[in-house]
Amino acid sequence: MDSSDINSDRPLGRDDVTSTDPPEVPVPAQRGPAPSESGASDTGAAEAGATEAPEEERFWKAGRLEPMPIRKLPKAPPSVHLLGPTVFLVALGVGMGESYMWPRLVLIFGPEIRWLFLIGVSLQAVVMLEMSRYAMATGESIFFGAARVFKPLMWFFFITAMLVYIWPGHLSAGASAFERVSGIPWQATAVTGMLLVGVIFTMAKVIYNLLENVLSICIGLLVVGTSIVAALVGNLSDLSSTITGMFAFGYMPEEALTAAWFPVIVGSIAFAGPSGMQQMWYTLHLRDKGAGMGSHIPKVRGLRHADEQETMPTRGFMFDTSDSEEMAKWKGWRRWVTFDAFALFWGITMLVTISFTVLAQASARFDPNVATVIRDGERDAALDAMAASFTAAGSPIFGTVFFLFISLIGLNATFGLFDSFSRGQADMTYYFVPGARRFSMSKLYAFFLWGVILFGIGVLLFGPADGPAAILDTLAFLSTFAMGAYCVTLLLVNNLMLPKPVRPGIVSNLIIAFAAVFYLGMLFYSLFAYGVVVS
Amino acid sequence: MSTAAAARHMPVALQYAEVAVPGAGVGLVAGAFAAGVAAMAGLPAVQIATIATGLGVPLALLGAGYCVLLALGKFGVGALGPVAFYWLIGFPLARLVDQFAVATVLGHDQVLREPLLSFLLFQAMLSMGFAIGFLWLHERIAPHLLIRIQYHNPVAAGLVERYVEQATKLEARRRTAKEEREAKRARRRGSS
Repeated sequence: MDSSDINSDRPLGRDDVTSTDPPEVPVPAQRGPAPSESGASDTGAAEAGATEAPEEERFWKAGRLEPMPIRKLPKAPPSVHLLGPTVFLVALGVGMGESYMWPRLVLIFGPEIRWLFLIGVSLQAVVMLEMSRYAMATGESIFFGAARVFKPLMWFFFITAMLVYIWPGHLSAGASAFERVSGIPWQATAVTGMLLVGVIFTMAKVIYNLLENVLSICIGLLVVGTSIVAALVGNLSDLSSTITGMFAFGYMPEEALTAAWFPVIVGSIAFAGPSGMQQMWYTLHLRDKGAGMGSHIPKVRGLRHADEQETMPTRGFMFDTSDSEEMAKWKGWRRWVTFDAFALFWGITMLVTISFTVLAQASARFDPNVATVIRDGERDAALDAMAASFTAAGSPIFGTVFFLFISLIGLNATFGLFDSFSRGQADMTYYFVPGARRFSMSKLYAFFLWGVILFGIGVLLFGPADGPAAILDTLAFLSTFAMGAYCVTLLLVNNLMLPKPVRPGIVSNLIIAFAAVFYLGMLFYSLFAYGVVVS
Repeated sequence: MSTAAAARHMPVALQYAEVAVPGAGVGLVAGAFAAGVAAMAGLPAVQIATIATGLGVPLALLGAGYCVLLALGKFGVGALGPVAFYWLIGFPLARLVDQFAVATVLGHDQVLREPLLSFLLFQAMLSMGFAIGFLWLHERIAPHLLIRIQYHNPVAAGLVERYVEQATKLEARRRTAKEEREAKRARRRGSS
């Protein structure tokens, strides 16, 4: 009985209170604050209605969009839990960065370079905590929060997602690895995988529940499997150098500061853990998990069950931050997500990358030629060389196992990315494209899901999987730029759109501000100093 | 046959064995991971069997052992600390058995590639990752099985009860801690 599932048996529709909201409280989509709704006081969401009759609806006014009605915050599950929406971030985050890019840097610059990975993943853990703040306090996605601050900000993310994530290139590594194991051409695997994902998500009653189960099992197998394979091929010195390397703060070999390597290192730090817009999508998974005020929002259903899809409220909800009992529950939710961020996200990401780094070090030990191939940067050749070295060291199983892990990572990413992309675009479309609300959320979700699948199949069969060569740099730029941009968005949303008692503290703000400067600064430095976009 | 009658007819050892299935399953999957792929890689049957038994069986037995100890109340449900300690000992032992089995069957003179102490230390360090993965999978799979078998298996029913109890206790503990904190704060305010 997974304690994190305590909240998962909530009713799928809106709860009693919220189910009556949108029709009975006809609030225009956008307007200036009415006196009874302008609860924009710094001291708590409930002050807005403090002087009103108790039975009167109270609101929290955030930005110029529709105010949020005050509702009860559900009780948080125990903070120590095993599963949760983090599984999406782990599934998306443990990708090529962890299995290939960082092991590659370790082989080139030594294990001491891993202190940069530690910084990158730790920053992402704090970003994750701050992403959850707005989503859990309001039940709205960070995209909605961005629109409350400044609508074009939200449209920037909408367009960035369309540009960056419709290309099926992310499938190629996993599918190519599977080709090496099975002999099945990677395009066939990728197309089948995409269709399979589409059908599964279409048939699912509640997409989130299905996906959490699938990804949990995949991540569990990945953690157990990489530990075992690392135990089979590695040795004590590989492991101890990998771990101690994480604390070699300040280590920066001269070669790392060259045009050839600096952009790679910056890209690897930015892509340590979840990259691009993956953290923003996490807010949507939190909502579907029913975390915090997300429990007042219906879950997204598969297309086959679209008729059962409850109408989405036109905005989120806020809880009474002047009520000490509500604030105690809020603290419970913060503990819950803190455990998610540090024990699960940070811990599991670290474990898997440590295992992969041990594997890479072992492969270089077995066959020094691997380091040369890896240095050249041809990903498929490097993966081949690593697998071949394992085969040479023991038996073909090691190479095969290695490829299977890469395939498993590819499968996780496919499941996670397609769902997240569709979820994010459907959310923004539903709330901000005029007329879109005549379609239910599940239909919009299906539209984007099948759109990206069919486009992906077309591109795989007839075009460049990563995107047209001419815009590759632009896509890489946008992906990293989005990370800096979401840090700025987070600062604005959490500090301007939330009641004071639930706003972030100075330390969190400083860390997020540092992350924004770091991502944007490194991106532009790389561009202007070396004339190269991060890679 | 009623469920009560079924419970009466089910030997205690069998009840524990049924409860041990998820742990054994996870252990077996983990251990047989390499063996399954060995088959795909076209290794000789002897080698596949050696890998399967050498690593798979010890891990499965240890996985089952965890479930039995859990049912006996030696471990708290879902608690990572004891599981990590359990695998800290168990995982290196399973690997040692595996190394011996492979060396014996394949006729290798050298059992380990490094000194025994280094080998055990390395395996013990990696056991943490294995323990987390094991617990993660176990907690995902076991409750479903336990709920299903609790009506004819009193050991499983007891375990289900403990899962529920633990969730309730955690909540109560947190409430008490909060009350204590508030009382302390109130006392401090009173004294100042």
